[in-house]
Amino acid sequence: MAALIEARDLTKKYGAHVALDRANLKVEAGRIVGLIGPNGAGKTSALRAILGLTNYEGQLTVLGREPFRERTALMNECCFIADVAVLPSWLRVDDAIDFVAGVHPRFRRDRATAFLAKTQITGKRRMRELSKGMKTQVHLALTMAIDAKLLVLDEPTLGLDILARRAFYDALVNDYMDETRTILITTHQVEEVENLLTDIVFIDKGRIVLDTSLEDVATRFAAVAVTADRLDAARAEKPFYERHILGKVVLYFENADPDKLEGFGEIHTPSVSDLFVAKLSGGAA
Amino acid sequence: MNNSNWLIRREFWENRAIWMIPAVFGGLLLLAALFGQVSIPRLTSPQESEQAASAFLVVVGAMFYLVMGVYSTWYLLDCLYTDRKDRSILFWKSLPISDATTVLCKLLVGMVIIPLVYFAAADATALIAAFILSIRARASIGGSLWNGDVWWQVQVLWMYAIVTTAVWYLPVAGWLMLVSAWAKRAVMLWAVLPPLLLYILERVFFGTRTVGHIIMRRLTGLPAVSFNGSKYNWTHDGGVVDNAGSVTPSVWHLINPSGFFTSAETWIGVAVGIVLIVAAIQLRMRRSEI
Repeated sequence: MAALIEARDLTKKYGAHVALDRANLKVEAGRIVGLIGPNGAGKTSALRAILGLTNYEGQLTVLGREPFRERTALMNECCFIADVAVLPSWLRVDDAIDFVAGVHPRFRRDRATAFLAKTQITGKRRMRELSKGMKTQVHLALTMAIDAKLLVLDEPTLGLDILARRAFYDALVNDYMDETRTILITTHQVEEVENLLTDIVFIDKGRIVLDTSLEDVATRFAAVAVTADRLDAARAEKPFYERHILGKVVLYFENADPDKLEGFGEIHTPSVSDLFVAKLSGGAA
Repeated sequence: MNNSNWLIRREFWENRAIWMIPAVFGGLLLLAALFGQVSIPRLTSPQESEQAASAFLVVVGAMFYLVMGVYSTWYLLDCLYTDRKDRSILFWKSLPISDATTVLCKLLVGMVIIPLVYFAAADATALIAAFILSIRARASIGGSLWNGDVWWQVQVLWMYAIVTTAVWYLPVAGWLMLVSAWAKRAVMLWAVLPPLLLYILERVFFGTRTVGHIIMRRLTGLPAVSFNGSKYNWTHDGGVVDNAGSVTPSVWHLINPSGFFTSAETWIGVAVGIVLIVAAIQLRMRRSEI
């Protein structure tokens, strides 16, 4: 099956600033992909291009379509929530549901109302009367009620408290996600999504620096807490990052021979956030 | 088609001023009719009463028309800007509605639907005001404001004005929407400054006023093109004389659709308007945020 999202040499320039620099990306159907990168790395530019909100150079297909040229058709099968609560202040909750139900062929009203019934939000309220968290909940209710093949979430839980965040991610995994859907999610709170992702994509300075499934992370990467006497030997195996904590040194290896590493100390698979830090500051170490 | 219905409904949710301004304005006029000074000279002939009725209806209509012009200008200038400013454009763009549909619906609201709302408000206000005035000044005006034929003619006049206004001002609307889709701030300033600058530059470097003339002609030239000035001779007491002699004046003598729709000026304007609107759609596709 063709990839759901395929980008080749995707480039986006704003004047002299290069936001995306020949980025390559492939997302298969049925995955939950985390697009992770520091601020200004090109996350938003990549999402904007994927959603057809901006034009770009290079090749990009999403659900077999060219996003910028075919945004309208794409939005029949894809939905997104941008990084801040962007529902207009004058919009009533009921009107919002009516509107989306009116224009979106895949919107399921019962799902949206069921989601909202669990909250304190009533239909006559306008967005300006709702707290930021409530606004986000309305937006999520609208978006998750759409039977989309691709759901793009850009910092979806920004401004939500921890309870609402947990509830959202549980709903996402339990009620929403199935093998027909694909979710692309960006967040700076890596720890929060770590457990639900199937794939991670690291982006830095407009380039994709890592694109891998989580299963592969375990075989590809290793973090070794090296004892002081083995440090030089371990360093000879070319770790790409070194971290000093509490008197211990943790070395990060990519595609190293596990048999060799075993002698250096305790081996574990790095967490996504550790890997992220290691990968992005790796060049400097 | 279905999407357009929702988009138009959406404009009414967002811009409650579309109906609130004419409602409030009509209400003020009715207050004036109720409590204001009414001094109307005694009308004697049926001709005089007909003139009084048409003058009354035309004045009420003209006042609404002016308010509508101001509001529509503001609406068109604002319509592609506010949702970029508050970033709600990202929500609208997450729905399967094309940018062309969005822009054209907003144009339709600004150029046709808002005028129709004002037309309905003007009619309702005139009807109620006529009722109030005929009771208050029964002795002097009697039933003069209730001339069915005049009422009917004023409806024709309104419809004609709405159509010709929409066609004639299409390039102006296109310009306002283009600015609205483009500007990062101060839409009003951006709408006025470039034409003004062109005018000044032309004055300074060429000493001519072509730009100024074109703009002024577009802004104020509609009556000259859409109404009849020369085909009939209007007598000083409001009568009409044509080649066959004196005839009863009516709206049909006033409007000039054949002249308007065959004028090159009309269609040049339409062409410029289409170019500007296409440009606004293109900008709308590319500019999501400020």
